[in-house]
Amino acid sequence: MIQKEKLLLIIQREYLTRLRSKIFIVTTILAPVVMILLLILPTLIQTMSADRQRQFLVYDETGEIGQELVGIDSVYYRITTNPPDELRASLITGDIEGYLLIPHEILDGKGKVSFYHGGTAGMTVTSRIRSDVQQIVRDIRLDRIDTPAEVRAILAERVQTENLTITAEGEEEADSGFYMFLGFIMGFIIYGAMFAYGAVIMRSVMEEKTSRIVEVIASSVRPFELLMGKVTGVALLGLTQFAIWAGAGAALMVVAGPIVTLFMGGDSGSVQSTEAAAEAAAFSIPYINPIIWVGFVLFFLLGFLIYSSLFAAVGSAVDQESDSQQLQMPIIMLIIIPLMFLFPVSDDPASTLSVVLSMVPFFAPILMPVRMAVLPIPLWQLGGTILLMILTFIILIWLSSRIYRTGILMYGKKASFRELWKWIREN
Amino acid sequence: MNDSIVEFREVTKQFGGTRAVDNVSFSVRSGRIFGLLGPNGAGKTTSIRMLTYILKPDSGSISMFGQPVGPETQKRIGYLPEERGLYKKMKVGEQLVYLCRLRGLSRQTARERIRYWLERFGAYDWIGQEVGELSKGMQQKIQFVATIAHDPDCLIFDEPFSGLDPINSEMLKEVILELRDAGKTIFFATHRMEQVEQLCDEIALFNNGQLILNGNLAEIRSSYGQNSIRLRFSGDSRFLNDLKNIRINNRSTNYAELRLLDGADDQQILRDAQNHVRIHTFELVQPSIQEIFIDSVSK
Repeated sequence: MIQKEKLLLIIQREYLTRLRSKIFIVTTILAPVVMILLLILPTLIQTMSADRQRQFLVYDETGEIGQELVGIDSVYYRITTNPPDELRASLITGDIEGYLLIPHEILDGKGKVSFYHGGTAGMTVTSRIRSDVQQIVRDIRLDRIDTPAEVRAILAERVQTENLTITAEGEEEADSGFYMFLGFIMGFIIYGAMFAYGAVIMRSVMEEKTSRIVEVIASSVRPFELLMGKVTGVALLGLTQFAIWAGAGAALMVVAGPIVTLFMGGDSGSVQSTEAAAEAAAFSIPYINPIIWVGFVLFFLLGFLIYSSLFAAVGSAVDQESDSQQLQMPIIMLIIIPLMFLFPVSDDPASTLSVVLSMVPFFAPILMPVRMAVLPIPLWQLGGTILLMILTFIILIWLSSRIYRTGILMYGKKASFRELWKWIREN
Repeated sequence: MNDSIVEFREVTKQFGGTRAVDNVSFSVRSGRIFGLLGPNGAGKTTSIRMLTYILKPDSGSISMFGQPVGPETQKRIGYLPEERGLYKKMKVGEQLVYLCRLRGLSRQTARERIRYWLERFGAYDWIGQEVGELSKGMQQKIQFVATIAHDPDCLIFDEPFSGLDPINSEMLKEVILELRDAGKTIFFATHRMEQVEQLCDEIALFNNGQLILNGNLAEIRSSYGQNSIRLRFSGDSRFLNDLKNIRINNRSTNYAELRLLDGADDQQILRDAQNHVRIHTFELVQPSIQEIFIDSVSK
């Protein structure tokens, strides 16, 4: 029924014209940059804001604690003899950032230290001051009763808890939370890709319609072939983009490894560098089962096929992008819903809720890779989901091509859902 | 009858409750220019879309070169839709090659043909430019090349002259006549009646989805007889308002076309005219196609 040469020609055009387009080159370069920025930005911002030098005055009645605080950080803490009334006044005028009142009975285990500030002390500052004061008070009080060193050691000791998973092969693995993180990232990438490539399909259909070329094309090929060619071409484009990213990522790893060892090896011998090297090794990416990559690509592809057939139908039913909002709504909802379940599913990937949600064809592209990253999925679930998704795609592309066929020849008015239904039922 | 290239047999197409094409039958022979005429919404475009296999008829059948229309006949069609369109971001050459290959040409043949036609239209220099960068007139030429470059046996032009300047119109007309002489079957849909008279061998007149007139243009015109008067004059034209049993078409300051209705006497009209104005021309002629068009549609 489908004419193979024509389909190949269409796929080729859809693929090549986009591959050479500026937008493809730009997004291929920018998307990982943005992604990395999003990941490191919070830490970066925190380090940057921590660079701002802050200072708090210490009004100390004990005569001991203040000095110890200055001993920890002489810029952060400064001893003052100004009475609390004056400190209060200068805080109100904004001359000082904040001050601590340390009562003398604090060393007897009574009273409390008060920290006054203009509302600018965030969590980092508050917790730092709290822990500094607490440590000093504890040390002084332990000194006073001549606590033996062994007791202090016990007090300072932290109990280690190890987090291990046992794989199907019976091997123990340290669970660093990495796989959950991986699942999250995969879910987000697929989420973004559904939207981005869906929009590519929609615009492409709309462009052919508004530029009226579609009537010329439709006099040479069946609308279904054009639609399939378009969807396949853009899917290949998406795979190409992922391949480029994966390739660049792998190359980066290969290059990054020697560079890191080079730096570490620079002053080998010193205790510090071996420790740092050990730390770096602990941070290197754990082994990722190839099945996770395969699953990622597979669910991206199936999800793309499902959503692009929906986006294509919308594109064919409208003349301009602004008219598409209403028709796009249900599709956008379908993509967003799994995102809301991203946390509960990755938190407990084996729960009934997780299993059911991740098997719904519309949610699977995002939720199944999330689960796959964290734990091995039973074969029946994987197979069943893939089967369901293929089935959904076939039904949707059929419905969509019926809308498409009529939609591409309709100009001037935007169609309602009722009209779309009519187009589907038409001969 | 056997050398008919295209045949519509009792073709009907409905959209919702309206019959866009209602039980239409006609046939077209090769080497003819076939005019598809009719007011807006008469069913011309729907007929063309069924002929190009973009739409399928609800009932009836359409055949081309002896086989039902389908993917195979699509390859032998060149279609220039009324609403023009090309991929704006594709280069002229690439785009034309793509369209030709979709109609089954090899890349090599496509390149040769495209070169020939672009040179003929003085457009070869644009081959590496994006279509969106070209002027409207240039795009029209490219679209025309896209319609004929794969050497189709059946050509369908929907308002091909709209938007063309007189020089390009003349060139296009020349090419269309040349294609006809080369044995192509040409469908020509238009509202412009003077072009129909200049180009068409046969016509089909549509109204409200029905075919109300079909046949050889010359035969149709002669069947109406010499029932029209062409009058050129100088002077006050108000006397025309008082003439009985006629209908006035195409009236201007010193020219009028009069259609004689039942009971009208051409000699009496000549005498009336003489009494009021200076007559330069008074001619009894066959009705113009416009006259036939209006006459048939208003029936």
